[in-house]
Amino acid sequence: MPHLVVKDVVAGYGSGPDILTGLSLDVEEGKSYCIVGPNGAGKSTLLKAICGLVNIRNGTIDFEGETLLGLRADQVLQRGICFVPQDRSLFPDMTVRENLRMGGYILKDRNEVERRIDEVFEMFPILKERASQHAKTMSGGQQQQLLLGRALVLRPKVVMLDEPSLGLAPKVSKQIFDSMNQLKDAGITIIVVEQNARMGLGYCDWGCVLDLGKLVFEGASRTVLDDPRMAELYLGTRRTGSEK
Amino acid sequence: MTQAIQILIIGLTLGGVFALMASGLTLIFGVMGIVNLAHAAFMVAAAFISFFAYKGLGLDPIASIVLTMPVMFVVGLVVYRLFFARSIDDPKKRSVLVLVTFAMALVIEGTLGFFFSNIYRSTNPPYAYDAFLMGPFYLPKGQFYATLMSALILGALWAMLRFTRLGYAIRATTHNRTAAEVVGVNVDRVSMFVFGIGMALAGASGSMISFLFSFYPGKHWEWVAILLSLVVLGGMGSLLGALIGALSLSVISAFVNSAYGPTWSPVTFYLALFAILLIRPQGLLGKKPEL
Repeated sequence: MPHLVVKDVVAGYGSGPDILTGLSLDVEEGKSYCIVGPNGAGKSTLLKAICGLVNIRNGTIDFEGETLLGLRADQVLQRGICFVPQDRSLFPDMTVRENLRMGGYILKDRNEVERRIDEVFEMFPILKERASQHAKTMSGGQQQQLLLGRALVLRPKVVMLDEPSLGLAPKVSKQIFDSMNQLKDAGITIIVVEQNARMGLGYCDWGCVLDLGKLVFEGASRTVLDDPRMAELYLGTRRTGSEK
Repeated sequence: MTQAIQILIIGLTLGGVFALMASGLTLIFGVMGIVNLAHAAFMVAAAFISFFAYKGLGLDPIASIVLTMPVMFVVGLVVYRLFFARSIDDPKKRSVLVLVTFAMALVIEGTLGFFFSNIYRSTNPPYAYDAFLMGPFYLPKGQFYATLMSALILGALWAMLRFTRLGYAIRATTHNRTAAEVVGVNVDRVSMFVFGIGMALAGASGSMISFLFSFYPGKHWEWVAILLSLVVLGGMGSLLGALIGALSLSVISAFVNSAYGPTWSPVTFYLALFAILLIRPQGLLGKKPEL
């Protein structure tokens, strides 16, 4: 039984047009999902709609049998769904440790937060080395690790990442995706939006292809990657036999 | 040389009070992105509270912060809920909120003028006319006590921002509003508290100016121009920047006052505002706007 169910969701920003135009998606516990699609397909908006950052105009989103509609971002977070935005949304003038503390902001027990930060340090030793350094002084890859670490302080059930490889060197992107797989092995459900479809689908169990605010097709990552409809969506044409 | 040191003492002691005045304005801008043009009008309103508490109850104007700070804090919460809460998250509406603060300043000025008339007032505690003498130098007691109290309040504000849960939330919202939401900060509630704290700081500033300067309802236009120059120089939203801006401009203004007379002293602030906007619009410690 899926533990996150998105059904016929219509959503957009402010009084602007609909970005999601009736999107449905079932997410099963402990699996990793890669959301791909051309620019403007609604990939990032889907993640924002799930975590309460975009107003939903129609449809439903249920998590573990309870609706997420009408909840603020902090209330969605309390249910165990963490969002890592696209724009390296760290707090630049805070230290690495302070950024991690912000990850545990909704927890009341400060000692527990510090214990969980130590766990994050075990997973990402570089963060421990840089604990008292300002986040803005770190490299892109280290900042991405810090974002992942910040999300992990809450021990979430679902982690949603929006283009984690954006602007990173291929080697660093690979490290980020390896870390993501570690989270999946620990039982955390992963939903990742990725422009680099080959890399994203290469790491995830399941691929979901979006276009014009709807789920166009989905399937096991390998089959999605080889599906001719992918080339049509990304290049605007079907691949021919010789092009293959 | 003696005269230069004396001017420096006067400038620095006034600068401490200016820093307190500017802190609320810059804190509100940092979190909400709104230039509160009514900040100085609220300061003048608080000065009236201190004035009447002194005349009616004999309450010392510095001690009257126990009255002005909580009253203005509550006023801030109410004002936020009534005028800002529904518009703050919409960038289109947020850009016109500065006009709401302008209208608010006019309403406060008009209301104070209607009830208390536009005559100059000032509380006159004994220390306002006394000074500490140290060899060839003198230190006006009023300025010294006001700066000491300002330093205490700013120190408490710094500790709150640095060590408390609310402080972390305020700093996070100042850095990146969306990221703060993502980690679970209720940014609407944080904005409301910040507006309240900003107003409480305006309240404390009002208590100080009630005996340092004479005031009347329309005086806030002069003050808000000075405060804007301080926070623009330091960098909008930067508390440390506001402190640096306040101390440096206050000292420069004291020197101008000594050399060319009091008429030219306020010009220092306006020229600084003009120059900083031309040379470094983001101020000394502010973030460069993203293109």
